[in-house]
Amino acid sequence: MALRTEELMLNMGPQHPSTHGVLRLVVTLDGENVVDVKPDIGYLHSSVEKMMEYRLYVQNVSLVDRGMDYLTAMQNEQVYCLAVERLAGIEVPDRARYLRVLFDELQRLASHLVWLGTWGIDLGATTVFLWCFREREMILDLFEKVTGGRLHHAYFRIGGVYIDPPPGWTDEVKKFLDYFILRVAEYDKLLTANPIFLARTKGVGVINRQDAIAMGASGPVGRASGIAMDVRKVEPYEVYDRMAFDVPVFTEGDCFARYQVRLEEMRQSVRIVRQALKELPAGEVRARVPMTMKAPRGEVYVRTESARGDLAIHLVSDGGEMPYRVKIRAPSFSNLYALTEMMRGWKIADVIAILGSIDIVLSDVDR
Amino acid sequence: MNRISVGARVGGAVKALATGLGLTWRVMFRRKVTVKYPIERLPVSNRFHGLLALPIDPETGRDLCIICFQCERVCPSRCIHIEAQGKGKERVLTRFDIEMDKCQYCAFCVEVCPTEAIVFVPHYESSTFDRSTLLYNLDELHRAAPKEPIATGIIGGRHRHNGRNGGTPAVAAAPPRADGARNGGSSASSPHGDRAAAAGSSSSVGPRQ
Repeated sequence: MALRTEELMLNMGPQHPSTHGVLRLVVTLDGENVVDVKPDIGYLHSSVEKMMEYRLYVQNVSLVDRGMDYLTAMQNEQVYCLAVERLAGIEVPDRARYLRVLFDELQRLASHLVWLGTWGIDLGATTVFLWCFREREMILDLFEKVTGGRLHHAYFRIGGVYIDPPPGWTDEVKKFLDYFILRVAEYDKLLTANPIFLARTKGVGVINRQDAIAMGASGPVGRASGIAMDVRKVEPYEVYDRMAFDVPVFTEGDCFARYQVRLEEMRQSVRIVRQALKELPAGEVRARVPMTMKAPRGEVYVRTESARGDLAIHLVSDGGEMPYRVKIRAPSFSNLYALTEMMRGWKIADVIAILGSIDIVLSDVDR
Repeated sequence: MNRISVGARVGGAVKALATGLGLTWRVMFRRKVTVKYPIERLPVSNRFHGLLALPIDPETGRDLCIICFQCERVCPSRCIHIEAQGKGKERVLTRFDIEMDKCQYCAFCVEVCPTEAIVFVPHYESSTFDRSTLLYNLDELHRAAPKEPIATGIIGGRHRHNGRNGGTPAVAAAPPRADGARNGGSSASSPHGDRAAAAGSSSSVGPRQ
């Protein structure tokens, strides 16, 4: 008599520690093999796009901090301020643009550190988690000295940044970067040749270039699959066109490639911050923009490269004090699409590794 | 597959163990990065967004607030509530409530204030078991005020901005202030000077258009 078997449906989340937030994964299993994965989102929906229609342009700066991706608050402010500035035709002083790039890249470091640490814990490597958060704390301290906030800064303003860093701050950043670049080498040493880590990640969760493009994957997920697209290079904003940096691209498309892309991005971010510090011009940090500014009638679509990928904003103005309509293109949301393709055919134990490797933030997915 | 002898494998394991434990041993004597929180405390920066406070002018003994309602208007969470009585010079605050449970610590109120009447205090232990205690009234905000101005850097940046937008006549009438304010952004110096200059020109900072 044949053994009767059937597929098993398993709910992962929304309160599972490895889902990095409130994501529910409906996994269909055939024994140990993953047949299908359906991500169920919406548990962290905060309707930030709608709320932005009822707030002044300046007030939205503090809203995008927390309403969108909470790990890349500076980059959210960056894309929002850039959109309003393009719409209203505001010229940003050079010093402010350099400061913005500097903070964007520091925020990228902080975000990648959280990703590497939590992914390490997903894979059972506790050490890397503690190490990453140790360095991230230093970055948050640097932020706190300038902006007064650790996660939610409200530092960028339409037409510049809030304020100059305090005296001596740039030297602290330099000191931190010198320390940090050695730590990146340490993570590399800890993980890249680690046989357990390699067994869990190499060749796991592969998505090819075509599928990645079809799913709209961007950022490190896309670049690990061979999509050589970085908004900082193809559509440079602020002063990225003056910075010399490389975009790491891998073609394997597996978890290990995504890890390598992010590790290399950390090194490149250090390079960019060093250049920004070196070339930081003197002068104003803020253009003349009233607190209750009005943007002219029209619409604008602005793309930036956040730590997760192509973060874009579509802003429509009817000429009033508040935006008429805002649409945010969240990179995590598109990257989550690629998840099903990556997970199909792998074992249940790999689900955690693959999910961690795309670095989603549910606040960004649901908005 | 090349076969490795038992001896070599044991040797390798012992070597790996020694390497690992050697690292553990070395790290044991390093300085700890964690802080035992209630016993030890980390210093926070003087720009830290902790509690909002209303400092009292040491010269007159009165509020610095000129009741312009700008902070109430700019607050994204609408957590500031101001009421005032009287006309002209006699105008006094009768109510200044801040719902700190709604506050999102964005510091827009600190930024728009033309007289440095509302400031952030780097105090981070304001959690409580009772939500109603998070409504701070005028007295509590006075009590929370720092003895000396703390967030001087932020005030420097804000004054420059405000002077150039709200008070064009004031800038024209008092050129020293315009210069001082312009420097204030980069050097963040002399908060008292800035404050005095701003208080002098505060009458020109009217309601926003």
